[in-house]
Amino acid sequence: MTFLLILAAVMAWPLRAWGDEILIGLIPEENIFNQMERHRPLAAYLSKKVGTTVRFTILSRYGDVMDRFVSRKMDGAFFGVFTGVLAIDRIDAEPIARPVSPSGSAIVQSYIFVRNDSGIRDIKDMQGKRITFVDRATVTGYLYALSYLRGNGVASPETFFKEVSFAGSHGSTIYAVLDGRSDIGTVKSTIFQKLVAKDPVIKEELTIIAKSRELPDTTLFLRKDLPQSLRAKMKAVLLAMDKDPEGMEVLKKLEAQKFIDAKKEDFAAFYDIARTAGISVKTYKYR
Amino acid sequence: MSLRLGDKAFFLAALFIVLLALPSFCLAAENTIGVIMTGDIPYYQELHKSFMARLGQLGLASKTEVIVQKPYPDHISLSNAARKLIAMDVDVIVVYGAPAAIAVVKERTKIPMVYAAVYEPFMSELKTRHSTGVYVRLSISSLLRYLRSLRSIKTLGVVYSSNEEDSVYQFSELAKLAAQYGMRVEGINLKRHQEAQAMLAKRRMDAVLIAGSSVAHMAMGQIIEYAKANVIPYASFFLSTDGRAMVSLAANPGQQGDKIADKTQKILDGVSPDKVKADAASEIELVFNMKDATSMGMKLPMELVTEATKLIK
Repeated sequence: MTFLLILAAVMAWPLRAWGDEILIGLIPEENIFNQMERHRPLAAYLSKKVGTTVRFTILSRYGDVMDRFVSRKMDGAFFGVFTGVLAIDRIDAEPIARPVSPSGSAIVQSYIFVRNDSGIRDIKDMQGKRITFVDRATVTGYLYALSYLRGNGVASPETFFKEVSFAGSHGSTIYAVLDGRSDIGTVKSTIFQKLVAKDPVIKEELTIIAKSRELPDTTLFLRKDLPQSLRAKMKAVLLAMDKDPEGMEVLKKLEAQKFIDAKKEDFAAFYDIARTAGISVKTYKYR
Repeated sequence: MSLRLGDKAFFLAALFIVLLALPSFCLAAENTIGVIMTGDIPYYQELHKSFMARLGQLGLASKTEVIVQKPYPDHISLSNAARKLIAMDVDVIVVYGAPAAIAVVKERTKIPMVYAAVYEPFMSELKTRHSTGVYVRLSISSLLRYLRSLRSIKTLGVVYSSNEEDSVYQFSELAKLAAQYGMRVEGINLKRHQEAQAMLAKRRMDAVLIAGSSVAHMAMGQIIEYAKANVIPYASFFLSTDGRAMVSLAANPGQQGDKIADKTQKILDGVSPDKVKADAASEIELVFNMKDATSMGMKLPMELVTEATKLIK
């Protein structure tokens, strides 16, 4: 049913005529207000350099990302690993570029973490505890943890844990564990490191007990039916930003060093996680 | 044998007294539970309400006598309350708060004790064969983090009571954390809640944090008055229903009341307290009082609002 709905929406998708502006979605990775604040200068910069108004909007929640992308007739979006795979698989979107963090990394990992004083150190200690995921439609905030649990013989998190919750964002998941509102969390490494850099006390209070393999960080995708010249221009502008003083200012506000090229193959690592987690992109119900 | 009128009246009066006493003798409670609150504060009242409601659900209310002691939160009063219940030879002593629990343990009684709202670092002091209960794990740094997001803090006032061990511990932990953030900590050691106004007067602070102290919470009205007069944010480790702090982080009292009633039932059924597992309160509430913050011209950052489990508007 979900698939049919998406399919129907996809068929309706190209009806929006590009021309007035380029609408790009942002998945709610951290606090949405901070996220919009960071991306606003990038919108202005791209508008100026590409010659068409570029506008960013938050895609309310992970599970709705693909539907909203289609229903709001977006031209592109910054997708995470899972939503990126969905975009490739279901709407044939094209990966364009991805930002490199100030530390020089364009990859992410999923972290499973706990409070230091929780006494939880491995799967044996997790039974009967409370776990907080980000959303079913994220690899770093859910699917990796699912693959970790299934790989350790946990068939059903719902019965293994005392309480399973979804915080909706990586930041909220970290705060839920920090506050003691949850015992175990799973989040994207970059958001974790960003909070730790902002407040070193957090590092002293949390312990990472499992890490996923390296995965591509948030990537900008564009609709394939946008004119090739426009897609190419957008990519060229992004990839040259770190050589332009104005672009460097914008990158600083975005908290990125530069943009690098992105390809479909970057997402191959996802399929190993999906296999251990026991899910298929075609049939997985992520809402 | 005939009775004289005076004798008859005496006999009837005696019979009446015996009959009057008979029902209460027949219906005497099967169990007696003694309860000690570390101070009569709304948080413990709410916890007790849930405890009683759950006892009712378990069918214990009608056959259990519950004797509630609400001593002032100081060592002598708490110790007296514990001794009184021990002398009454109650079946179970239920305590709310670490100071009351410590007071019972110090009496070296063999009467089973069930505790609630005990701050986790004090669990080691309560690990006896005769006790079990619900402990609370609260993040001091989280509360401080939320408070800092309301205002830049150079001097942090911490209200605690040296009569309440858990609040002293929180004060010392806060002092360590504050040093890491480059803040100065001003401790306000309240031994009587009536002293709050005098102790707060003329102090200059950028924010006030109320530790998990009953005395401090009994002075909540005065502390809030001080904070409002000086337009500074205030945070608390209890969910105070009579004067909510701008930011509160606390374990839900209702859940704890339910849990300790279940543990009490097991003990009354004959299970040894050391066979009844102590566990942590899992419902932790983070409450933001937007109403007070707004009225004081403070804006709660959206990133803070989105973390709240409850917002007061």
